[in-house]
Amino acid sequence: MCDAKARPDMRPVYPKAGSYPDFADLVDDSRAQVDRRVFIDRAIYEAELRQIFGRAWLFLAHESQIPNPGDFVRTYMGEDDVIVVRQRNGRIGAYLNSCPHRGNRVCMVDSGKKARGFICNYHGWSFGIDGRLNGTDGKVYDKDPGFEKSAIGLTPVAQVASYKGLVFGTFDPEAPSLEDYFGPFTWYLDVMLDNDEGGTEFIGGCVKSTVECNWKFPAENFVGDILHAFWTHQSGAEAILGGAVDLGSRYDERAFQASVYGHGIETNLDKVGNTRTLGFPELNDYVLGRYEAVKARLGEVRARMVGAVSSCTVFPNFSFLPGQATFRVWHPKGPDRIDLYTWTLVNKNMPERIKELYRKGTMITFSPGGVFEMDDGENWEYCTKANQGWVTRHQKLHYGLGQDSAWSESDLPGHIHRGSLNDANQRQFYKRWAEFMRFDSWGDLQRAETAPPAKPLPQAAE
Amino acid sequence: MTVQTVPMLDETPVGDALLRRIERFYYREARLLDREAYADWLTLLDPGIRYWMPAMETRKRGDQRGPWTDGEMSYFDDDFAMLKVRVARYEQPSAWADNPATRHLHIVTNIEAIETGTPGLVRAFSCFENVRNRNEKDQDVIHGRREDLLKLDGDRITLAERRILIVQNILLSKNLNTFF
Repeated sequence: MCDAKARPDMRPVYPKAGSYPDFADLVDDSRAQVDRRVFIDRAIYEAELRQIFGRAWLFLAHESQIPNPGDFVRTYMGEDDVIVVRQRNGRIGAYLNSCPHRGNRVCMVDSGKKARGFICNYHGWSFGIDGRLNGTDGKVYDKDPGFEKSAIGLTPVAQVASYKGLVFGTFDPEAPSLEDYFGPFTWYLDVMLDNDEGGTEFIGGCVKSTVECNWKFPAENFVGDILHAFWTHQSGAEAILGGAVDLGSRYDERAFQASVYGHGIETNLDKVGNTRTLGFPELNDYVLGRYEAVKARLGEVRARMVGAVSSCTVFPNFSFLPGQATFRVWHPKGPDRIDLYTWTLVNKNMPERIKELYRKGTMITFSPGGVFEMDDGENWEYCTKANQGWVTRHQKLHYGLGQDSAWSESDLPGHIHRGSLNDANQRQFYKRWAEFMRFDSWGDLQRAETAPPAKPLPQAAE
Repeated sequence: MTVQTVPMLDETPVGDALLRRIERFYYREARLLDREAYADWLTLLDPGIRYWMPAMETRKRGDQRGPWTDGEMSYFDDDFAMLKVRVARYEQPSAWADNPATRHLHIVTNIEAIETGTPGLVRAFSCFENVRNRNEKDQDVIHGRREDLLKLDGDRITLAERRILIVQNILLSKNLNTFF
């Protein structure tokens, strides 16, 4: 019999991680191979939602999208629907977009300004922007002695924090701080986020699209695959630059890959290689014109990375191209589908004309109609689909380029590999993936092989 | 020149003969796009064109921004030079998302044309269904509405401005390897 006085326990539940050593073994770092099943298997995907998306710090928003109390954007953490909302005290909160009564969404829109709260369409349960239950339709619960309003609310994301304008959240109350999650990788993030004293902002709006691929293919592409540009992006380069992609005879000398905890950036030091692909000479001049100022702020190496041929992924699914200023999240929607959210990031202090060129430039290069991205989607979809074959899926994939390229004497932060035409960062990405599968504690995760080698951070203006 | 929302009561439809010419213009344009005759398609455009397809957001009724807004993220916001860049990509054999060729179909319907009050300029509205199929069974279907400004110069009609409003919030395809 039900105890008449028993009340539902409505405390937030954050499922604990376990361990999946069998899945972790599907990444064979010693042979530089990855088992194709990690791209198609539903059980492995479910394990990813628990082990990776249930624990890692995930990108939520740029602070510029929600400047005032009540401003909000809706996004996803893994497949969990989340509202990110500026609080009255100026802090940013994030909450599951699901009514604790019957589970319905309480927010149906992509974003909005100055909301006073969120109301479920089903029974009218209303919540403040702090997630607290304010009231219920008809006040029927007010007369119900078994109802404890103060104990019920939208489940908060366990931790929310910002790094230089970018807001991240994690469902794991035990997760280390956002800065510890990045480690010295912040040194590279600052190339985009801190090259100007005024900070950054997103251009308004967001382009969203669907790709029928596993989320790891675009993530590994951005973490270190500049090699594909030569072949995949020939047509786009021909259209914009009037010639095939030239990765340069000096490419190996002035390019490197860096990785920390699976976050990775590959970059040339060619100053405006990627900015050039946006097709606006005025933009090249602008970036080159800021070179000395950026050098004084961030040092020469990072000044040369600002518009260079380069790409970056923050583990697991947040990526950007420093030269093209496109920022994106690959939201998993099953093992063979993602929703891709695309924004353009600019410095707040840029002239409006320059911001406009970045907006148009990202659109014509890396958005669904972009002359580069069009061909990427085709590749990632067929990388995923081809692995469905029963025999096909039993041959592992080759990640063996540049195994002798480690540059251990480099004083740059993280694991450094010479040249960027190699699979080094992709190996680190999958090694981190395997660590998330293998370890159930953050102590083990933060001490694992992808952790940064101990060396001091280079001074800013070295 | 910008396409404005026309107050319903002030609409003055163009005469039947001009409407018929405009319909022919649209059907021919659709046929050129189906055949990927992009160089020919460019000749239908005014050199001062703005070709704009904003990203659609889901917003509450009454939200002042609305589902799309000028100056924000878009699928296309092109001038003539940018459209030529896109066409230049299609002309490369290494445009892998189009080699093997995509099979295109553009259906144009609900064509209306309205006087602007400016001689030689007409507002035109149309709806489209765009079907792309490639390889074995990859198929993308997009529906939307086009709001155009057409320039009339003697017998010649050119597209001076186009706003493309699709009905999808998240584009249900990986790319837009076509024009609308």
